[in-house]
Amino acid sequence: MVEKQNLTSLGVPKDDFLDHVRRSLGRTHPVVPPPLHLPLTENLADLEGRAAAARERLEETRGELADRFEGTARARNWNVFRTSSAEESIGYITQLAGRLGISRAARADQPVFGELGVDSALRNTGVELFVAAHDESTSGPRVRDRIIESGLGITGADYAVAETGSVVVVPRQGLSRLVSLVPPVHLAIVRPKDLVESIDDVFLFRRLEYLRNGGDMGSYLNFITGPSRTADIEMKLVVGVHGPREVHLVLLA
Amino acid sequence: MAEVKTREFVSASDSAMKDASLRRALRQVGGGFNEARLEAIEEVSWETWEEWREEARRTKIHALENLDYYLELLHDRVTAAGGHVHFARDASQANSIVAEIARSRNVKIATKSKSMVSEELDLNQSLEANGVEVYETDLGEYIIQLAGETPSHLVAPALHKTKEQVSELFHQELGVPLTDDIEEMARVARRVLREKFLSADLGISGANFLVAETGTLVIITNEGNGRLCTSAPRIHIGITGMEKVIPSLQDLAVFLRLLPRSATGQRLTSYVSMVTGPRRNDDEDGPEEFHLVLVDNGRSRLLADPDLREALYCIRCGACLNICPVYGKIGGHAYGWVYPGPIGAIVSPALVGLKEAKDLPHASSLCGACREVCPIRINIPRMLLHLRHRLAESPLETENATTTGERQAAQAYSWLMSNPAALSAAAKVGRLVQKPFVSGGKVSKRVPLPLVSKWTGGRDLPALPRQTFREMWAQGLESVAELRE
Repeated sequence: MVEKQNLTSLGVPKDDFLDHVRRSLGRTHPVVPPPLHLPLTENLADLEGRAAAARERLEETRGELADRFEGTARARNWNVFRTSSAEESIGYITQLAGRLGISRAARADQPVFGELGVDSALRNTGVELFVAAHDESTSGPRVRDRIIESGLGITGADYAVAETGSVVVVPRQGLSRLVSLVPPVHLAIVRPKDLVESIDDVFLFRRLEYLRNGGDMGSYLNFITGPSRTADIEMKLVVGVHGPREVHLVLLA
Repeated sequence: MAEVKTREFVSASDSAMKDASLRRALRQVGGGFNEARLEAIEEVSWETWEEWREEARRTKIHALENLDYYLELLHDRVTAAGGHVHFARDASQANSIVAEIARSRNVKIATKSKSMVSEELDLNQSLEANGVEVYETDLGEYIIQLAGETPSHLVAPALHKTKEQVSELFHQELGVPLTDDIEEMARVARRVLREKFLSADLGISGANFLVAETGTLVIITNEGNGRLCTSAPRIHIGITGMEKVIPSLQDLAVFLRLLPRSATGQRLTSYVSMVTGPRRNDDEDGPEEFHLVLVDNGRSRLLADPDLREALYCIRCGACLNICPVYGKIGGHAYGWVYPGPIGAIVSPALVGLKEAKDLPHASSLCGACREVCPIRINIPRMLLHLRHRLAESPLETENATTTGERQAAQAYSWLMSNPAALSAAAKVGRLVQKPFVSGGKVSKRVPLPLVSKWTGGRDLPALPRQTFREMWAQGLESVAELRE
């Protein structure tokens, strides 16, 4: 094992680099620019006010949002199953597992799974379900191996964006980066409260999270908009390169 | 730094135009991407589109005008999130930084997602020289890497290759059977590269945007290789040009709307991934280390030049390539360096030297289509003219595209056009002189015309007409009617 040396700053020292940039701009001293849209140090109270107003707006238009999200998601090649019945949504998931003929599936550890009770239903159909969450027995490479072996990855959604038909996942404790990426099929469960109107809403809420947590909104965030795609050979569309070829949405609304 | 072949522009574009399969591929790109782009704009309305362009341009102007401030903020926020930021003045320094991280962390295998900056640096070659196996994982880039070539388009790097060529390449390099099924080729790449992702110690990505406020690196992809590169290996290095920084998270939204629509006509790509530092302690997975390498490599020269600064607003969507009549005929390789097309004709001279790339600003008809389609409204034709002007006025003979002969000819032409009597006399003399060499209204190719030989090499020089317009005018309109008959 190579001893971990400190790699804090290789290359040009920061101040020299910035000084060169500054001189290229014809300045000799640092200048604080006036804010472009919003102050970068917006205070928490103001941001909370804006976020509360946005939440109210979303609450009022919930039904409309669900319709719009369903439409854009279908247009981006999600297979959408919309239902307000927990039973039907579980039925959809077990049927999908049956159609795919898989023996293993992996799911994230998010609150929506406690609300639905998918686990026993899947296990009853003979699928070995792995909950990709951190504990003593499943940590590290084992989590990864179990996800790789899975034919289906199931997650909730942190946000579902009506504007773009995207599911946004914010990987963290209980939500591996790989569950929605490595298995050939991904299924996301969207609750009404996950719905937002636009990508602006997502960034507003993330910004609030950032300020609330003293400057941390987590290490990763992914907008997922349909299956993995490429058109790199003769501009012919092929679905499913490195990510899932088939993606499903259970929309509980 | 990547090999510079910009001096070969004339001969390279000449042979590109004779390549039938390249021309077929280019026709597909021009039509396909551009139609999809228009459809995506019409869906949101042109009015909205123009508002987005305006907002994005304003943001880029502001960010570049205050680049030192936002780079410092970015540095502080990435560091606060547990990442490391390294600054590189040029290509060799950037390559050494990455090599040093790889060496000290005992990296054997690296996987890479698409990055034009890494092409600019020739990073793969540098890593391989340091004993690291590097795998390109974007399908187009993987094809190019296997073939030992360079990308020919900003968004579709392997568009110059036919499926037969790809099949043959996979057969030769990977030992798989020949096929004409593109889906099968994609499956092969998935299988081969999946194994590399899982054994790689290092994932390298570029960045489409850097958000200063939160210290976030943003990549926009379709295949999922970018997500794997930033998730599976134990170290992630993001490497990109210093101009990619934007102020706040909320400024990002408009760029996410503009870039995919301009590039491929998609409303959003399959994936937008946002990386802020390495994995946190509680995270299930993700890299233990995150490094961000910010590269100048000539960009500060563009920054310092008020006439050319707006070239740094470019978000590399490729829309100007897809619409350009010159790119549409010669493709990307003829431009001789990493950045092709109209924007490349400005960026490449700035990064490799105007003297080295003096033909590129001339590779345009100045039709203005590039400016029309640019999501940031970059005034590309103005900058191309500016570079031509600079070349013509250059006191250095080596940089000087205007020869003494051309200068004298231009002076003579200008004198002639401002002296009606002389012009009329010259026309009469010209008609007499050309007589033996004219057939079918054209001057014979056998006549040596040294000053305009580049032009006449590919075109016919029309003969002077029997009558000039002034002569017709003097005789009244009847003579025009006679001429028609």
